[in-house]
Amino acid sequence: MEPVREAEILQSLKTKFGVEGEVQRIRRVWVSIGKEQVLEVSGWIKEQGFEHLSSISVTDWVEDGSYELTYHLWSPRDKVVVTLRTRISREDPSIASVMPVWDRSAGIHERELHEMFGVKFEGNPDLAPLFLEDWEGPPPFRKDFDWREYTREKYYNPENEREHVYYE
Amino acid sequence: MSTTSEMMIPALDTDYDLYFGPAHPGSGNFGVKLRVDGEEVVSARADPGYLHRGFEKLMEYRLPLQNAVLSDRLCILEALNWNLVHAEAVDELLGIELPERARYIRVIMAELSRIQSHFIWFGAFCMGTGFDSGFKIAFGYRDYILDLFELITGGRVYPAGYICPGGVRRNLPEGAEQKILQVLEKVEEMIRFEEMEHPTLTSRARGVGILGPADAVRLGATGPVARGSGIRTDVRRDDPYEVYERMDFEVPVRSEGDAYARYLIGIEETKQSVKIVRQALSQLPAGETIAPELRKPKLKAKIPAGQVYVRNEAARGEAAVHMVSDGSIHPYRVKVRGPDFLHMIPVLEHLLKGAQVADVPAIYWSLNICPADMDR
Amino acid sequence: MKITVIGQLLKNLVSKPMTVKFPHEAIPIPEGYRGEHVLDIEKCTSCTLCAMICPNRAIEMVEAPPEYKATYPKKYPKIDLGKCCFCGLCQDICPQGGLTLSKNFFLSTFDVSTTIKAPFPLQSAQSAE
Repeated sequence: MEPVREAEILQSLKTKFGVEGEVQRIRRVWVSIGKEQVLEVSGWIKEQGFEHLSSISVTDWVEDGSYELTYHLWSPRDKVVVTLRTRISREDPSIASVMPVWDRSAGIHERELHEMFGVKFEGNPDLAPLFLEDWEGPPPFRKDFDWREYTREKYYNPENEREHVYYE
Repeated sequence: MSTTSEMMIPALDTDYDLYFGPAHPGSGNFGVKLRVDGEEVVSARADPGYLHRGFEKLMEYRLPLQNAVLSDRLCILEALNWNLVHAEAVDELLGIELPERARYIRVIMAELSRIQSHFIWFGAFCMGTGFDSGFKIAFGYRDYILDLFELITGGRVYPAGYICPGGVRRNLPEGAEQKILQVLEKVEEMIRFEEMEHPTLTSRARGVGILGPADAVRLGATGPVARGSGIRTDVRRDDPYEVYERMDFEVPVRSEGDAYARYLIGIEETKQSVKIVRQALSQLPAGETIAPELRKPKLKAKIPAGQVYVRNEAARGEAAVHMVSDGSIHPYRVKVRGPDFLHMIPVLEHLLKGAQVADVPAIYWSLNICPADMDR
Repeated sequence: MKITVIGQLLKNLVSKPMTVKFPHEAIPIPEGYRGEHVLDIEKCTSCTLCAMICPNRAIEMVEAPPEYKATYPKKYPKIDLGKCCFCGLCQDICPQGGLTLSKNFFLSTFDVSTTIKAPFPLQSAQSAE
């Protein structure tokens, strides 16, 4: 099966917003957009039939000093997954929330990413902690959070010989 | 003459907090804070995190084969389905071609896992609404499928990464195909039991927890919850993987959107799964069961750099994995999207608003909730 | 209202139970079951692959006590059954086929020292515990 519809979608995104991307295989299109274009592209692509937001994810690229955000969208009509990727700074991560477009199915993902990576989503009314309780440290899923040191200080009991394998 | 209403004490400010919480025998490892006024729930707030193990961080420090063993703990009630999503993500990054026999065995095991997960759903639904015999009968019939898993994978509940990157870890032993056909007859006996009139269940589940189609899309519902509200979506049909394109099966859809509609969809899906297993068994070819370069476990095999997004239909909805690799032996980032993350927080909070306290278990169990793939 | 399920429940009252009276009777365990480890020490070449592949670091390579040192000069796997998840990766990776999993699953105990499977009997004078 040739990826005809995927190439059409990629072409319309390129002409309308001036973004770059590729067709990875059938039913998968990956597009890189700028951080300020997120709300505009999301609003347009929802009207094209991409009603289902599958997930939002953050990858921590330490050497580049940036977070890469990926939004995975599915269109039940065209049967294609379009992934929007964008980069934000790692030191002060913040981006506009896509809740005006996809409502609470985006809001809950943003709440989890705020807790685990420290990303501020402007416009999301509910960014309360989700999984962790009374957590004072840095966001735990960042690559520079040394979880080995944390567990060694908090939980290691040198008396117990069976724990030596993990900490020596 | 004073009527009873004049003699009643005037209503006080009676909102109180009821914690349908994690130590409750009918709720699993998950708590919901209900704000109740008399008998009606005014608002609900989900309290997740009791089962948070940090899988996404754990997987960054292990080889893909060790991650396959870890992936069945993502949700143990449908372990082989999660093994399959993770193995597909690694296979797509590695870019290898799987042998045909491996793909058919993967589909057979995934569908058997879906059948036993739906039996647990039926049993838990019965237990939540008071029909305790149904719970015990469901778990009794589930045991026939667990005996099959013990024969094929070596463990009853934990298959230990049976579906691993490259194919499957072991071949089907002698006589496994006959045994699968015998177990399918027992499964059909159980389906006949499920289709009988259960008065407790029907009277408690009809007309409660109605989810409209627009709300289902807005709140991110997938799988049986979305199909119960009239949305025709199934990842095996729309975004096929493995050999599902060659299988002939139907996608059941109902438009009422209440708890009873979701319950009936569960039964229909079990029937379709039996059909798929029979077709796959009749088409099963001979040959290799794992790609030749991955037959012996390797400690230093690098994963090529890239990013993939794989979607599968687990028993509870759409399960997806986004895997990023930078060319080293460990994956750089693994993001797991579980169907229950959306069902337990936005959908549940929406459905419980305005419900009666006595209907809370029926709504709760009709969503087929497993806290494990919400918290990961 | 039809109550057909009562017919089924009455049938269940008189039919044979689904369970057997364990431990007096038992269902046979199939081959390939992942139970307790069995080490064939003659085949072990001390390649340490099993210790490296274990996802939980349950295998530690230890040296032999002095009286066995002459016949067994290298290091051999000591398995901590409390950490093991019985996945069988050590069985798959062993190049000589020396480490296999048996069908024994009667491993629960009140005595913590039996959870560590050492390749040599520990002498009471030299044992660390």
